[in-house]
Amino acid sequence: MKNKIKNNESRRSFIKKSALLGVAATGSLTGFSAIASMTEEEKRKFMYELQKPENIIYSACLQCHNSCSIKGKVFDGKLGKIDGNPYSPQNMLPHLDYKSDIEFASDVDGKVCPKGQAGVQTLYDPYRVRKVLKRAGARGSNKWETVDFHQAIDELVNGGNLFGEGNVKGLKDIIVLRDPKVAKEMAADAKAFGKGKMTLEAFKAKHANNLDKLIDPNHPDLGPLNNKFVMMCGRIEHGRKEIGKRFAHGTMGSNNFFEHTTICEQSHHIAYKEVSNQWVVKDGKGKWTGGKTHLKPDILNSEFVIFFGTGAFEANFGKTSMAQKVTDGLVDRNLKLAVIDPRMSQTAAKAHWWVPIKPGTDAAFAWGMIRWIIENERFDKTALTNSNYAAAHETGETTISDATLLVKIENGKPTTFLRANEIGLGSSTDFVTMVDGKPTKLDIHGKKAIHGDLLTNTTIKGIEVKSSFQLVVDEAMSKTLGQWAGISGIKVNQITEIAKEFTSHGKKSAIDMYRGAVQHTNGYYNGVAIIYLNMLIGNTDWLGGMQVGGGHWHEDGSKHGIYNFKKANHPNKLTAFGPPITREKSRYEDYSLFRENGYPAKRNWYPHSGNIYQEILASGEDKYPYGIDFLFLHKGTPLLSAPGGNVAIDYVSDPKKLPIFIASDIVIGETSMFADYIIPDTTYMERWGTPHTTPDVAQKASKVRQPIVPSITEMVDINGEKMPINLEAAYIAIADKLGLSGFGENALDNGLPLTRPEDWYLKHVANIATEGKAKEATDEEMKIFESARRHFPKEYVNMDRFRKAVGGDESLFRKVVYILNRGGMFEDYAKSFAKAPYAEHQLKGFLKFFPENVAKTKNSITGVNYNGIGAYEVIKQMDGTPTGFETVKDDELIMSTFKEVFGGQSRTISNYWTQLSLDPENVLYINKVDADKRGLKNNDWVTLHSDSNPEGIVDLKNGTKIQVKSRVRVIQGVRPGVVTMSWHFGHWAYGSTDVVIDGETIKGDARRKDSACPNPIMAIDKSLNMCLTDPIGASASYFNTKVRIKRA
Amino acid sequence: MGNTKKNDRRDFLSKFGTAFIAGAALSPLISNASELLETENNVTEIKNFKGSFEDLLGGDYTNIKLRMQDDVRRALKKPMKDRKWAMAIDLRKCVGCNACTVACIAENALPPGVVYRPVIKEEIGTYPNVSKINLPKPCMQCDEPPCVDVCPVEATWKREDGIVVIDYEACIGCRYCMTACPYEHRMFDFGEKYSDGLPLVANYDKRPSFEYGKEWDREDRHSSPIGNVRKCTFCAHRLDEGLLPQCLTTCIGGANYFGDLNDEDSVIAKLVSRLNVFRLKEEMGTEPNVYYIR
Amino acid sequence: MKKIFYILWGIAFILGCIGVAQRFMYGHELANYGNRVVWGLWVAMYIYFIGLSAGAFLLSSLVYVFKIKMFEKVGKLALITALVTLLCALLSIWFDLGHMWRAYEVITRPNLPHSMMAWMIWLYSAYFLLLVLETLYAFRIESGKYDGDKLKSYQKKLGILATIGIPLAIAFHGGVGALFGVVAANPMWHSALTPIFFLVGAIASGSALFTLIFAFFWDNKKGEYYQNMLKTLAKIVLVAVLFDVLLEWAELSIALWMGSPEHTAGFRAMLFGQYWYVFWIFHLLFGVVIPVWILATKKNGIAIGWASLLVAFTFIGVRLNIVVPGLIGEKIPGEASAYIQPRLTYNYFPSMMEWLVGIFIVAFGIGLFYLGNKYFKLTKENNSVKS
Ligand SMILES: Nc1nc2c(c(=O)[nH]1)N[C@H]1C(S)=C(S)[C@@H](COP(=O)(O)OP(=O)(O)OC[C@H]3O[C@@H](n4cnc5c(=O)[nH]c(N)nc54)[C@H](O)[C@@H]3O)O[C@H]1N2
Ligand SMILES: Nc1nc2c(c(=O)[nH]1)N[C@H]1C(S)=C(S)[C@@H](COP(=O)(O)OP(=O)(O)OC[C@H]3O[C@@H](n4cnc5c(=O)[nH]c(N)nc54)[C@H](O)[C@@H]3O)O[C@H]1N2
Ligand code: SF4
Ligand code: SF4
Ligand code: SF4
Ligand code: SF4
Ligand code: SF4
Ligand SMILES: [Mo]
Repeated sequence: MKNKIKNNESRRSFIKKSALLGVAATGSLTGFSAIASMTEEEKRKFMYELQKPENIIYSACLQCHNSCSIKGKVFDGKLGKIDGNPYSPQNMLPHLDYKSDIEFASDVDGKVCPKGQAGVQTLYDPYRVRKVLKRAGARGSNKWETVDFHQAIDELVNGGNLFGEGNVKGLKDIIVLRDPKVAKEMAADAKAFGKGKMTLEAFKAKHANNLDKLIDPNHPDLGPLNNKFVMMCGRIEHGRKEIGKRFAHGTMGSNNFFEHTTICEQSHHIAYKEVSNQWVVKDGKGKWTGGKTHLKPDILNSEFVIFFGTGAFEANFGKTSMAQKVTDGLVDRNLKLAVIDPRMSQTAAKAHWWVPIKPGTDAAFAWGMIRWIIENERFDKTALTNSNYAAAHETGETTISDATLLVKIENGKPTTFLRANEIGLGSSTDFVTMVDGKPTKLDIHGKKAIHGDLLTNTTIKGIEVKSSFQLVVDEAMSKTLGQWAGISGIKVNQITEIAKEFTSHGKKSAIDMYRGAVQHTNGYYNGVAIIYLNMLIGNTDWLGGMQVGGGHWHEDGSKHGIYNFKKANHPNKLTAFGPPITREKSRYEDYSLFRENGYPAKRNWYPHSGNIYQEILASGEDKYPYGIDFLFLHKGTPLLSAPGGNVAIDYVSDPKKLPIFIASDIVIGETSMFADYIIPDTTYMERWGTPHTTPDVAQKASKVRQPIVPSITEMVDINGEKMPINLEAAYIAIADKLGLSGFGENALDNGLPLTRPEDWYLKHVANIATEGKAKEATDEEMKIFESARRHFPKEYVNMDRFRKAVGGDESLFRKVVYILNRGGMFEDYAKSFAKAPYAEHQLKGFLKFFPENVAKTKNSITGVNYNGIGAYEVIKQMDGTPTGFETVKDDELIMSTFKEVFGGQSRTISNYWTQLSLDPENVLYINKVDADKRGLKNNDWVTLHSDSNPEGIVDLKNGTKIQVKSRVRVIQGVRPGVVTMSWHFGHWAYGSTDVVIDGETIKGDARRKDSACPNPIMAIDKSLNMCLTDPIGASASYFNTKVRIKRA
Repeated sequence: MGNTKKNDRRDFLSKFGTAFIAGAALSPLISNASELLETENNVTEIKNFKGSFEDLLGGDYTNIKLRMQDDVRRALKKPMKDRKWAMAIDLRKCVGCNACTVACIAENALPPGVVYRPVIKEEIGTYPNVSKINLPKPCMQCDEPPCVDVCPVEATWKREDGIVVIDYEACIGCRYCMTACPYEHRMFDFGEKYSDGLPLVANYDKRPSFEYGKEWDREDRHSSPIGNVRKCTFCAHRLDEGLLPQCLTTCIGGANYFGDLNDEDSVIAKLVSRLNVFRLKEEMGTEPNVYYIR
Repeated sequence: MKKIFYILWGIAFILGCIGVAQRFMYGHELANYGNRVVWGLWVAMYIYFIGLSAGAFLLSSLVYVFKIKMFEKVGKLALITALVTLLCALLSIWFDLGHMWRAYEVITRPNLPHSMMAWMIWLYSAYFLLLVLETLYAFRIESGKYDGDKLKSYQKKLGILATIGIPLAIAFHGGVGALFGVVAANPMWHSALTPIFFLVGAIASGSALFTLIFAFFWDNKKGEYYQNMLKTLAKIVLVAVLFDVLLEWAELSIALWMGSPEHTAGFRAMLFGQYWYVFWIFHLLFGVVIPVWILATKKNGIAIGWASLLVAFTFIGVRLNIVVPGLIGEKIPGEASAYIQPRLTYNYFPSMMEWLVGIFIVAFGIGLFYLGNKYFKLTKENNSVKS
């Protein structure tokens, strides 16, 4: 092994040598290239260039959000090849021991999916933006000029007549509340005012000097003008997310920082969170907090896995780690699968059951299963009767449920859990359960084991109560199996067979669900109903059941780290207040607007959900509760990616409605093409990050994304630090120009600076190193580390500067290098089985059939409470009126969508190796029956139309109108009546069209334009000017549109 | 990591009866195989190459990929003529993801129109009884390769270890071998680039290919491998370095197996003798060295 | 008339040069064959010209081997025709090579005895030498400069060469057929009939070419010789074409009669595929039905000339129909949609550059022939020596 380093021939001399040998070889007629004429000994010295440790930098993929660990192989200073990092549990099964030698590991390649393999084509996409672009025409006109980075920042901060269209506000006029002390006080008082605990007069009197800094002095609870600065981030990931929040909240004092989660899978998260949040008692008061947003089956040990609206091979979180667990299980163990999906996916193709369910009816299917399981008493009775942790402990469980807890019933509807004090049994923080028919006070953390009664339906002291389990039974029994199956459009035996199989493996059955089940207006309820199934067999924390996954060491330093970014390290931080523009995590009833207007509110408020992407632009246009002055879009393309996202083109293309709009992007995208400025960004192969890992992975994993190659964006000098233009550089420069906290010299505690990205990210790695007790890199490893970065300019990547960024401590720096040399920190494989038959990393939590929190809130438009349990609901608008989705007319079809394994959202259109070669255009998959009915044949062109978009057109407001049009592909593997289309195509920017930059036309590549994206025809909630939306989980609805197709 | 300790651990863990031995792709075979490994780990000669890859795993479990890498290195200790490389693809595990297809293109810097490992996909059945088949198709490295005999200039031949190679410096580009391959495997390099017609030539189009252990630049339109026929080499340039084929290493379904058929202890040798193994177009008599499992 | 010919030739030559320049500058980038239909127009032209050459050569053997008097006057014409078309053939295949400058390797490192292509190359190298020598002797003999022993010896040598030439021509053109026939992976080509089919096709097309040259360019169109010769040639062409059709029928009917889909795919593509008209209209109507009707019923030189022209010209369609349909079927079902790129489609239509290079080759051949004829006065009746 040693000779790998010792025998460090330079590439050049290698070429020379082989060239010489090559000459010799061609001399003989049948002779062959260099390698053939080498002896075995010589051959061993030929060290494969791409595999040398000093040509390898481990990082993290981001072609999709799995953020797999990758091995970047550098050739000639360029990224030559990407493979999987063998140290990472996501990319090798089982993965290498963490302490393995890096020289040794360099010869082992892990796995990555096709998108991961094609990353170089994202990095070196000829359409990447390298310099700051400023529009040189109307918004969306595709005319640009390049401007100096500092000039752009200056213009953004100071405003002025930037486009010859009159004066534009600068950030300095928006970020007006700049005094941290004032902000803090105002925040507290505004909250009090909102809740009616402080009068307007009192507020005004107290803050007379600062009323001009508010959006509306008469509604101070809406927060400061700073809130009109909105950061809308699409696929932002950990590391960048945190520094982004620091910037938006702490530096800019705006409460508006958003991710795109509701167009992704939010209702799934919210369902899990509400079911799993914990009852925490502090100072005599109880509160529901925390909760896990994502659990996954422990496929490695499962015997039966059901996938609802997702799979293991194409999308999900995520195929690269999951696929082999499933295939190994299918072939080498006794794993069985069921896939509930209207489309025959690759996973369904390998499953024992494929249930082509009618879209939007997952809850009905789940309730059918629940009914069968209850009727046949196939649930885990012992687990469910564990009323507190002591009982669970007794019976070998780690989790408890509320099955036996009593819920108050008013007017036939469950309202809240009965608290012990209400029937005079104890305190308001204790619950009540029946034990052998006797009401018993329940402290879930109590020492004494309590095994309550499962079924209760009675009245105690005049209060009508039912046990949570009784609520579930009632709902399940409200329809016959035939009725449940009928709603789902499937056969009864599909329910019974799967229910039977599911309950035939003890704890080793598990159910995964993702977008297909939850991106509906009834998404939250569907999610909860599916979770019930897992709860019925009590499989959480059991090997083979549901697992929380290994999680990660806390890079934010909040646990044993040395730099705590969660609580500290932001001197002079502003306190952001007021409801986010999306009204997320906010109760309508806690704001003055409610007291004035009552129900119906103009738009819904979402106390349970967050990152409500589709609401951002719609609310901004609606100015409810206030408008947007400055939109900063990062790595998102809402006009394309959200259902009916195109309706917002009206808004973003009009500077009168949206005064300033800037975008951080790597290309000119579908949405960023409407921006006033585009700030080029570094791709995931050129920047830092600390992504998290899917709970599919049982081992603890802290991945580090680090630059593999120098960025191709322009280098800038910000106060003496040279760095490529990207998102972080923009933060640093803007904060500097505005003179705000959080970035620059003394931005961190103890006078430490945050003047370049490494100041932030390497400290995060240092936190991982300290919490995870990393080893120190040896001298040899230090050398390899430095040598592997020899292709970076010195002022960009520099050992001393890195050392300084870590804090100057050599030992700590070596630990950081140890981690960077392995692409992160990973727990060893065997660790996850150490607690068999339990998972190593456990939820150990309280799971609820009755998420009380949700039952307590009202839809702000209808004023009606949400359902406490995950009942089946039809597809509705926000105001509760059914859309009629369930009845499909003869000429209608249900529009569905999915992800291909080769497509990474909409951002892989530049990947010629994958997307543009594997299936270069989007097709509308249609069942043969439906095609025949319409006389359609394979490859016939059709246009798509819906009630929301009858013409099936996207109007770019720049003279271009796009018809939503595609070919049909006639197949058997989709439910008749449903058509489906992937989502990686249908571009109107992203290098697909000509743009003019500095007067020069850059020709677009027509291949990128081919075919359609289904989103523009998706259903709109008319009065809200955005897609149909789940009122609780806030998921955007992707699967509740009926379309008509016409031959084109 | 003494053997005794290892076994203790196994007993301890197996008490719980959990199927924690992952990567047990050959579960019926693996038990004797891993024992075999334990004894063989003592053979210093084998360790000499670089030590055993399975040593990289600390726990008591096995990783079929590392075992195969050890198999490869063990085979490299033998003279070339004593090796016989073969690949097996378990169609039950292939999820049709095409990671292999793309990995191969990226590894070998293949131009548009050249693909060494397409995955053929087919839908079978009638709704609702439908399924899908995925069939990855590298070069079969036939024992009786019709592509070799037809070459007018002996530019292509079967290496002693079974790999069918092309001498890029001799091939005249007549493309006769392409017509002769029953598997439609061979492809001609037209000298195109993926970024042809785009504003600039992308870096991924400039990277040389390392096939056959040389650097093949693409700068000049008229120099090899442009104008040559190309084919999968089982990643000979990696193999000769003791590295596994790139399509195998990236396979997310874990569907690929590789090794030396002449080594009775190799993973591959154990696999290909099984009942459910078949080869493509057996009737052609080409004796492929790529086996399929279904 | 001549002027128009010169102008047309000039245009064709210039266009051809553009194609050749493109070929040299961009390699194969501008060609439309790909990795599924791996051979295209040029390979079809190659077997076409090779066929013409073999056919013309076999005609010449009527003089030099079988000593058929009547053909004496056209012996050299036949030889030169064979030589020129052979050069066109070699040019066609040379342009088709990925590495043109490595063409010499076929001589320096032939894969014998395995490769049918190597055999073919050696055979036609031999054939080429033979042709050159034969032509040389033929001219010497007829130059009138030699007499006595010398003439005798030349005549003898010519006789021997010509005799060797027959099996050689049969072998090498049959070899071209075998080049296709041995490809077991291609069911359409893989037939014992293929080499024979090639030979008969060579005779049909070669004799047609020769007939058309004779019919149009023979200087003394009034003479008896012309009429007689024409009649004989017309018969040869007629018989050859009919025999060729018979073989075609044998091949098609056997293959299609309850043949497995895999085995019939190529033929079906040829008959009913995208380019069905090449077979039905181009080949069958213009290459068989019409000329056969003319040859069977008409006696005048113009008609026979035109009929032969139709046969000779449309034969490129027959050659294309061997090369292309044999390649447009998936060898493994599903291949076409496995990876989608322009070079991986099963469609083929020659690109502009291919056509241009094709035109160049034809113009080159015509030009060469024209020069040869002008210099050696091949079509002058009284230029020929009586034996
Ligand atoms: N290849 C690839 N993988 C990815 C990503 C990517 O872009 N590309 N992105 C990642 C991200 S961000 C996410 S959110 C995940 C998403 O992962 P998934 O949720 O697994 O992905 P989708 O394809 O969006 O899933 C939708 C599936 O639900 C089905 N479906 C539609 N309607 C219904 C219904 O009513 N009920 C049921 N049961 N099924 C229905 C669709 O047919 C489709 O198969 O994937 C991640 N992984
Ligand atoms: N029909 C349909 N629609 C869907 C889905 C579906 O399955 N079907 N899936 C949904 C899901 S799960 C999700 S998560 C969303 C994703 O949707 P979004 O988050 O909106 O979008 P993306 O397609 O991931 O990419 C957004 C844009 O980011 C820019 N970009 C790419 N890389 C970078 C970078 O490194 N830096 C910066 N600054 N910008 C970059 C590009 O302009 C790209 O267009 O799409 C949703 N939309
Ligand atoms: S699953 Fe996603 S993150 Fe992982 S390699 Fe594929 S694209 Fe990259
Ligand atoms: S598969 Fe084709 S290219 Fe490969 S060895 Fe066999 S015949 Fe030759
Ligand atoms: S293309 Fe090359 S390898 Fe193939 S037959 Fe011709 S010379 Fe041989
Ligand atoms: S073995 Fe190598 S060359 Fe062959 S298909 Fe796999 S990756 Fe490509
Ligand atoms: S990478 Fe593996 S699973 Fe994916 S297509 Fe290739 S062989 Fe199949
Ligand atoms: Mo997502």
